[in-house]
Amino acid sequence: MKFTWPTWWITIWARLFLIGFLQLTAFGLLERWPRRLPRWVARWVLQVAAVAIVVPFAAALAYSLTTLGDPSPWYQSKEKLAGCGSMIGAGLLFSPWIAMSALYRHISGQAQRQALSFELERSEFARDALDSRLRLLQAQVEPHFLFNTLANVRELVDAGSAQASQVLNSLIAYLRAAVPSLNDTSSTLGQELDLVRAYLEIMHMRMPDRLQFKIQVEDAALRIKCPPMTLLTLVENAVRHGIDPSEVGGQIDVSVRLQQGRCLALVSDTGVGLGQDHQGKQASQGLGTGLANLRERLQLIFAGDAQLSLTALSPHGFSAELNFPAEAS
Amino acid sequence: MTTARPTALIADDEPLLRSSLTRMLAEAWPELEIVAQARNGREAVEQTQALQPTVCFLDVHMPGLSGVEAARQIGRAAHVVFVTAYSEYAVEAFAQGALDYLVKPVDPARLADTVARVRERLVAAQPAPDIDVLLDKLEARLQKKAAPEPLRWIKALVGQALRMIPVEEIDYLRSDEKYTLIAWRGDDGKAAEALIRTSLKDLLDQLDGAHFIQVHRSVVVNINMVSHVTRGENETATIHMKGRSEKLPVSRSYLHHFKQM
Repeated sequence: MKFTWPTWWITIWARLFLIGFLQLTAFGLLERWPRRLPRWVARWVLQVAAVAIVVPFAAALAYSLTTLGDPSPWYQSKEKLAGCGSMIGAGLLFSPWIAMSALYRHISGQAQRQALSFELERSEFARDALDSRLRLLQAQVEPHFLFNTLANVRELVDAGSAQASQVLNSLIAYLRAAVPSLNDTSSTLGQELDLVRAYLEIMHMRMPDRLQFKIQVEDAALRIKCPPMTLLTLVENAVRHGIDPSEVGGQIDVSVRLQQGRCLALVSDTGVGLGQDHQGKQASQGLGTGLANLRERLQLIFAGDAQLSLTALSPHGFSAELNFPAEAS
Repeated sequence: MTTARPTALIADDEPLLRSSLTRMLAEAWPELEIVAQARNGREAVEQTQALQPTVCFLDVHMPGLSGVEAARQIGRAAHVVFVTAYSEYAVEAFAQGALDYLVKPVDPARLADTVARVRERLVAAQPAPDIDVLLDKLEARLQKKAAPEPLRWIKALVGQALRMIPVEEIDYLRSDEKYTLIAWRGDDGKAAEALIRTSLKDLLDQLDGAHFIQVHRSVVVNINMVSHVTRGENETATIHMKGRSEKLPVSRSYLHHFKQM
């Protein structure tokens, strides 16, 4: 056989390719098989070792295959034996490192995938936590309110008043909204105002001489999305801290209007207001827990795109203004 | 006590509940005459002094003067029966004392028991018990449930309006001689300032110590709003706030907050 450069190169590459291919096969085979390994054997060690062990056999096989037409076997020619030796040497020198770096890439890829799936799980947990936090922050039905209201309803029933069923309807509407449900979807301002009206009607029945109220709302605002119990929290706060502590009571005004893509809801009362500043005494006991919870809810829902500002009114009273993006439902 | 017809006062800020108790008493104690109805603690005290009823039914939760405060002023002038809406702490507080009380909505059987007890005392011509000590205990219990929470809002004059500023929006507080300056984020997130009369020392006691730390004799800072701290000479430091140009001093005695930062 006439020796020429090109065929020589082709032969070399064919041999190298064959060796590499056999090493890769060993590497891949041991990745899946045996399925179970004893605990003291690390799979990656086996893989790297196999890649090294395969080299001499693969080199011998490559030489046998590429010298098939030769008159004498390849291992009897000094040159070919030396070539095979240097291939084995080079293979032993380089291939375990290549295998190791491949393994490393593979493992870090796995780690990345794992990290991603952890991240996904974590964000799902976080969302669940957020949901339950939101539910916790929603106002709860106060036993005090409930039993007082029931006592009133019972009296209406005993007295044979026609008002009884009307008040019961308001109470049912209030409870339906105020008992935390598992699927609190975002409600509309229309629904929220129905709830506010139900609550105010109940309170007006309980203190007819001390509570008057007025609700003004633009028709266009009724279909705007509104987180449940937001306006109600403001109104409950006005009753609890403005009207209830006052002997003469007062009036609660609720107004809602739209302005440049924002929704402005205003709840004001003419109750006792913030009272006198005692020395060093700031907000009265309990004032603001409901409002602080509401602010936190707004932060969770609107991420800073909603403002709640609270102002004292003169001569006495209190106003809460809520400003949030108007989004039609 | 006279053997004349017993009389009663009913005090409750809710008219329907006054008529409810009137109706139930008519059945449980037919000879009792309701001589007065009061809408709050103040009226209850005035009418008791004017009409001298034998028994006073006092709602605990009333505007102005509460039922407990009214009972204190009525003292031994009449037998007092408290009426309270269900709320755990109130009922628990009453159950501890030897005071007569009813829970709203009033249960007819419970009312009959209470009426029997009061009538026994009238028949034995016992004077009304001295309830001052009991009231002290009761008030102590009622107050215990109102444990002080950290301050969540600060009332302050902003321009002409008295506003409630949420504490988490406060960047720092700085005391002047008579006032405390509150630097906070206004409605639009911009830096705003307000003055209040409460002293910094009083405020510090009420603020949540996890977020508000004192860094100087006259400065308390919201740690969440600090951007960074630079070391100065002679064991002092300077605080730079997020989104504010002014710098705040840290004096030597408060520097330990910023070691290892």
